[in-house]
Amino acid sequence: MTTTPRPAPGPLERRYRRMLLAYPRGYRAGHGEELIATLLATAEPHRSTPPLTEAVALLAGGLRTRAVQAARGPAWADAVHLAITALSVANVAMLLPYAGTIPVWTGLAVFTAVAVARRRFWLALPAAGLTCVKVAAIGLGLPWLDGTLLPVFADPLPREWGVPALLSMGGPAAPATAHAMVFLGAAVLAVRWAAPRARSWRWALAVPLLIGVNTDMRALTDPTATPGRTALEIGLLLLAGWAGHVAADPRWALAALLYLPVEVVELAENIGTATRGDYAHLALLVFLTGAAAAAVHRSRRHALL
Amino acid sequence: MVAGMAKKSLPVSESTYFILAALLDGPLHGHGIIKHVLGMSEGRVKLPVGTLYGALDRLAGGGLIAVEREEVVDGRPRRYFRLTDDGTRLVLTEAERMRQAASVVTGRALPGSAFVPLTSPAAAGLALGRRPVWRPALT
Repeated sequence: MTTTPRPAPGPLERRYRRMLLAYPRGYRAGHGEELIATLLATAEPHRSTPPLTEAVALLAGGLRTRAVQAARGPAWADAVHLAITALSVANVAMLLPYAGTIPVWTGLAVFTAVAVARRRFWLALPAAGLTCVKVAAIGLGLPWLDGTLLPVFADPLPREWGVPALLSMGGPAAPATAHAMVFLGAAVLAVRWAAPRARSWRWALAVPLLIGVNTDMRALTDPTATPGRTALEIGLLLLAGWAGHVAADPRWALAALLYLPVEVVELAENIGTATRGDYAHLALLVFLTGAAAAAVHRSRRHALL
Repeated sequence: MVAGMAKKSLPVSESTYFILAALLDGPLHGHGIIKHVLGMSEGRVKLPVGTLYGALDRLAGGGLIAVEREEVVDGRPRRYFRLTDDGTRLVLTEAERMRQAASVVTGRALPGSAFVPLTSPAAAGLALGRRPVWRPALT
């Protein structure tokens, strides 16, 4: 066994180390140095940038490892948790531009998202329930719990970005359904005392992303007017299918399935004005969700080797 | 579980097949496997490192290979992998499957091929769906 000191890293090694960030931290700690050694041993002399094939393989290998490691524990509980985490974050993104006018309800939505992500389901329940009722009441013009009535204009900064008044473009059934799904999911996880792993604080980064992709802030009300949102949905569903395929695990497909009721309610709510684009949007989401489930089924029948 | 995995997984991917075949000669570390596979495939299969270690993880998870030993060379760890009995059985089964599949084609010689000549010129025409225009050399 040789134990000579390691040479100083060159540009190629530094670049490979950055690419290894695609792998989970624990995997890097266990096998990162071994991968670096093999990468450098197989590299052409005097090369300073990784070949494209190696870069793609490292990215795919890292994502695959993350998917396999994430596919631990009961799939159904993790799927419910993933779905309600995503929905509660989307709910925050929907209400945040109006925080100046409805600070209590926006705050409750934030509280719900944090409680859900950190697995405090009993705390999330009342907050999600109250927010759900209030969003529905605001949309129906009922001054329940407080006197907030439409119109609720966006705060000055988001209004400058073109954010319209709350629920002025549709609703409230779809947004209320999104809140209700969070309530129901949290109730199931609380009652069954299931303990999926806590979600990262990095989910907070999804809030500005969701506000950004809903360029005209028709969150959960008019997808065809928001191509950014549709692109994000398609991207996430493709990722869900791929992760389910490589890990032979249904949790991502199940989570995608739990998102569909919101989409169905949204279409039903706007059925009178629905365009072919709206139907195509829903059909595409249903197809991709089904494809994600089929990918899992196929992987389970044919172990990946 | 392993037996079921092996049974369900046939045929394995080409990369996996060559990795298992490389380990038939004894334990190898990652770089050794890449070099061995490149040589065995006559330069055709060049395994990217990310692909190799992903496959090694899956094969180890399925009980088809195992870590023989670990070493530290130039300050960096290195694992040597070996075939398990299940892995040996799988690669031999796969080789036999491919041999049988190949024999369907190699058993009949086609025009311009280097395979063993067929028994009758008519068979060549049958294989090509037309009248035979080629005759095997008699010498």
